[in-house]
Amino acid sequence: MTSKPSVSWQKNPALAWREIDDATVIISPTDSVMHELNDTGSFLWKNIDGRRSAAELAGLLAETYEVAPDVALTDTQALLDEMSTRKLVVPIPATGGDLR
Amino acid sequence: MSAPDANSGGGRQQQFEFSIGCVPFQLQMSDARLFRAASLRYAAFTGAVAQPIEIALNESSFVESLPAEFAYNFEGACLRTDSRKTRFDGVRNDYALDSLLRILLSWKLTGRHGFLLHAATVIRNGKAYVFTGKSGAGKSTVASLSPKGCVLTDEISLLRRENGQWQAHGTPFWGEFRAAGSNTSAPVQGIYRLVQGAENRVASLRPRKLIRALLPNVLFFCSESEATRRLLEIVGHAAEEISGYELTFRKDSAFWEVLPA
Repeated sequence: MTSKPSVSWQKNPALAWREIDDATVIISPTDSVMHELNDTGSFLWKNIDGRRSAAELAGLLAETYEVAPDVALTDTQALLDEMSTRKLVVPIPATGGDLR
Repeated sequence: MSAPDANSGGGRQQQFEFSIGCVPFQLQMSDARLFRAASLRYAAFTGAVAQPIEIALNESSFVESLPAEFAYNFEGACLRTDSRKTRFDGVRNDYALDSLLRILLSWKLTGRHGFLLHAATVIRNGKAYVFTGKSGAGKSTVASLSPKGCVLTDEISLLRRENGQWQAHGTPFWGEFRAAGSNTSAPVQGIYRLVQGAENRVASLRPRKLIRALLPNVLFFCSESEATRRLLEIVGHAAEEISGYELTFRKDSAFWEVLPA
């Protein structure tokens, strides 16, 4: 299922992560699982700040990598959904309610 | 090794001090059998140390008054540490003691820019060659094919950044080699990911690939986020600052010929 473009995302605050070369390595402390993001994933990861929506992230991706906006949005939503499945990112309710 | 110094309930309390990778410990216990076993196991690492981390072993009268900074259970034995003291309870043999000590050391090292790695380390020309991999990758084979007296450890290596340089230290945690590691250290020449093959060859690894090789082999038992962040930062530094290689090797000592000096 694809998330809505208007949904904002934040990094899972429990994770440890570090950039190395052009990749990002992420560790989930509770299960010691290691995740690795490629350069596009790392770009998105760096820009996920708890405020930007998928559409805004796609806009940054399109500008930086010079890809068509619709392609960037599709790619961004796919990456966010994959990260969400792995519990690397969590959506923020549009209402701005309490996240706890 | 210091002399017995006190009486504590059921037995005479004894203590001895040792250090692993410059991390100082003082074990305090009343169990004479465990004391003998521990004395033998850590004999090469004993000696007077300054400001040791005090570990009370099976001292049931010890009552916690401070919140635990780190706690871990291992096969019925448990470790608990607070800002003043560390205690190991339920320790029945030197195997359990050794396991808790590894766990404690892995945690303490994050405050000292170091980490424990499943790796054999061999010194050649004054430099430490670190060979990492899971069980069966060939760590003990590499150790057994290296000149006698040069093996720091065949199982668990301690890497620490000291004065801007990465040092490899021997540890008393042994594997199939069945010999205590050497209580010495040397600057790290490189880290080699072991792959068994039909020929001997070596290829460079970029930091990104090196950290991927390192992380699954790092010993770490704390599931707390901040400690994991510290660990990842340290291992990341190691991957960026230490030369990484993939070593494909046959089971003979000729692999040394393809390694960089």
